Amino acid sequence: MEALISGLDQLLQPAVMVAIVIGSVGGLIIGAVPGIGPAIAIAILLPATVFLEDLVSLVLLLGVYGSSMYGGAIPAILINTPGTPVNALTTYDGYAMTRRGEASRALAIAYSSSFLGACFSISVALLSLFAFGPYLRDLGALFGQRDIMMAAILGGVLLIAAHKQNMVIAALLFGFGFLISVVGRQTTRKVDRYTFDIEYLYSGFNLIVVIVGIFALSQAMNLMTGKDDDAPPARISGGVFRGFREIARFKIVTLLSAIYGTLMGIIPGVGEFVAQFFSYSTARSLSKEPSRFGHGSPEGLIASETSNNAVPAAAMIPLLALGVPGEALTAMMMVVFFDAGIKPGPDIFENNPDFLFSLFIALLIINVLVVTTLFFSTRLIARMIYIPNRFLGAMIMLLSFVGVYSIRNSLADCIFAAAFGFIGFILRRLDWPLVPVVLGLVLGSIITQRLTAGAGQIKTAADMINRPVSGTLFVVILAVTCYIIWHAVKKTNRFEQ
Amino acid sequence: MNLARSQFEDLFLFEEQMPIDSVDAALRFKSECPPDRQFKSENMFRFRRGRGDFHASVFAAFIALVFLAFFSTETGWQDRKLPDNLGNYVGYQFGLVEIEGRAKRLGSILKQSWVVPFLCLLILIPASIINLRASWKIRRWRQRFLLPTDAGYETSKYLAALEYLAYFILYTLSVPVLGYLISTIVMGVFLTWRLGYRTVKWLSTGLLSSFAIVVVFRSFLQIKTPVSIWLYDQLPAAARAFMLTYF
Repeated sequence: MEALISGLDQLLQPAVMVAIVIGSVGGLIIGAVPGIGPAIAIAILLPATVFLEDLVSLVLLLGVYGSSMYGGAIPAILINTPGTPVNALTTYDGYAMTRRGEASRALAIAYSSSFLGACFSISVALLSLFAFGPYLRDLGALFGQRDIMMAAILGGVLLIAAHKQNMVIAALLFGFGFLISVVGRQTTRKVDRYTFDIEYLYSGFNLIVVIVGIFALSQAMNLMTGKDDDAPPARISGGVFRGFREIARFKIVTLLSAIYGTLMGIIPGVGEFVAQFFSYSTARSLSKEPSRFGHGSPEGLIASETSNNAVPAAAMIPLLALGVPGEALTAMMMVVFFDAGIKPGPDIFENNPDFLFSLFIALLIINVLVVTTLFFSTRLIARMIYIPNRFLGAMIMLLSFVGVYSIRNSLADCIFAAAFGFIGFILRRLDWPLVPVVLGLVLGSIITQRLTAGAGQIKTAADMINRPVSGTLFVVILAVTCYIIWHAVKKTNRFEQ
Repeated sequence: MNLARSQFEDLFLFEEQMPIDSVDAALRFKSECPPDRQFKSENMFRFRRGRGDFHASVFAAFIALVFLAFFSTETGWQDRKLPDNLGNYVGYQFGLVEIEGRAKRLGSILKQSWVVPFLCLLILIPASIINLRASWKIRRWRQRFLLPTDAGYETSKYLAALEYLAYFILYTLSVPVLGYLISTIVMGVFLTWRLGYRTVKWLSTGLLSSFAIVVVFRSFLQIKTPVSIWLYDQLPAAARAFMLTYF
């Protein structure tokens, strides 16, 4: 209880409250503009957060993370263009409802189901903190270096498995990201790894430079070399307040989707798409009208929006509990933790429990604020959809410069960011996923650190897996690896037939 | 118009196969039978290798080979400390072989600088080879069905992107000379013009947006900019100090 009160006390500082408001409203607008998305916004904001207080920075980024998917539903429903990638599924039922003249109903359902999904996962996190708080403090003893290393490996393996149709490409890009993470001078042994005698590379690649390049600069180029979308006019008639009543008709779908979202958020490397896949499939199998899915089914919309909004709060759990980010956005947040001197991992329950409470309560406040804002200003936010893509690309390029140059005013940083931006641009053109590169980089450095730190306790190979946690994780890694290989072989055979 | 075009495109199996450029002409051939729009949740993970994929796969394999080629010189492999009889040692690790005397600790090997790059290559090399094989098969399949396989269009897009990267680097170079405020405004207005938004309304939008970026990030958030800026150095001391602090 003391931690809860202390957490609330931290949140009530004026600067933190302002950050909550700016993050939430900014995230809404960013989500509503097709072409930006939370990853790009967080990548650009990361360097600026260095100049802010720790909690202010985190709450600002959490605001963008937690609210962008709400905003992303607006263009998905109104003009059939997802605001953020995870809103792609929303277009199938949301836009079909708009074409039937039910735009306000679709928006109402999307807002209320998103809100319930988010509240569910935040409640799970807060209740777990209350119920298991005293036991969670003992987690530190359960999770040693080898256990966290295994968790990071599991995150990588699950990430590859989650890219169902392009696992090989995901593995290739994860390997590339992992390799980038080892570039630099190994301080303990004074060995240069893949530096090719380039002085800049001695300190390794800066995470922010890579992230801004891969996500923001690549998208800027993508937009500037593309065409402006000729978006159809978005017409909203009627109010958007009746969504909660509608949700009450589909309680089971809402609950199951929230559970899927929370579970998939907790598992590192999985994230929103798999959560949506499971919840949408389940909703269709339970529905009395499965044929309406994809043609404007409210249940389909609920499944999509509830599950994707349940992920952000749940995705914070592996990040905070193990120090292992599950997806790109939480990986970026790790940078803020490092800057703040807070080491995410089992020890956080012992050292900073109030910090945990304040983060989850902030997420709750963000969601309340976002839904309230949306109920009153959807029409205003919907206007953002019409900012031309290429103009947006130019502005993202200017903002990317802020992100990279402000780190240390280095031309070399900008050149490397440009190079990573070009790589990211090619990957976007090829429809190859970007997230494995960044997670390869982040998880790779965790694996390297933990392997080096834990090596002293490893006498034989059995010592890697002879602890309860590492042993269990190893079994799961083996199972998922077998699934990946089986899937690859099956796909090859099907193609050859 | 876009809607009509997308409806027409649904009638074809492959996106490249649309033979008629004129949408009006194409719509005359539109079938009465609507295409199957049944959405499946598996569609979320749909991935199709397009043009340029094979070339990119070759390049990815080449990069992987470069890393492999430099493995011995760039990872500390030359200074490796491994047991004399590696085969026996591996067997010992899995409990298959007994080693006389004191065996080297596995941890002391894992700590060596070449181990992590070796693990990376264990992922990177097989993945790049399998990916190249898959891409090559798709390319052969496309050739069989007379679908375009050249990457000319993609290359033109890459070159177009390089132009904007050049502007980005020029922008970086201009900041220590002109300062953050002027460089950002010049770049913002120039990019707006270059992208084809050449009316006064759009150029002033570009100018105001660039100015807003500077105010938010430099004036309020106080991000770091160079201490010495040529243009600001030409100003009187008070103005120089003001510009350096806020812009």
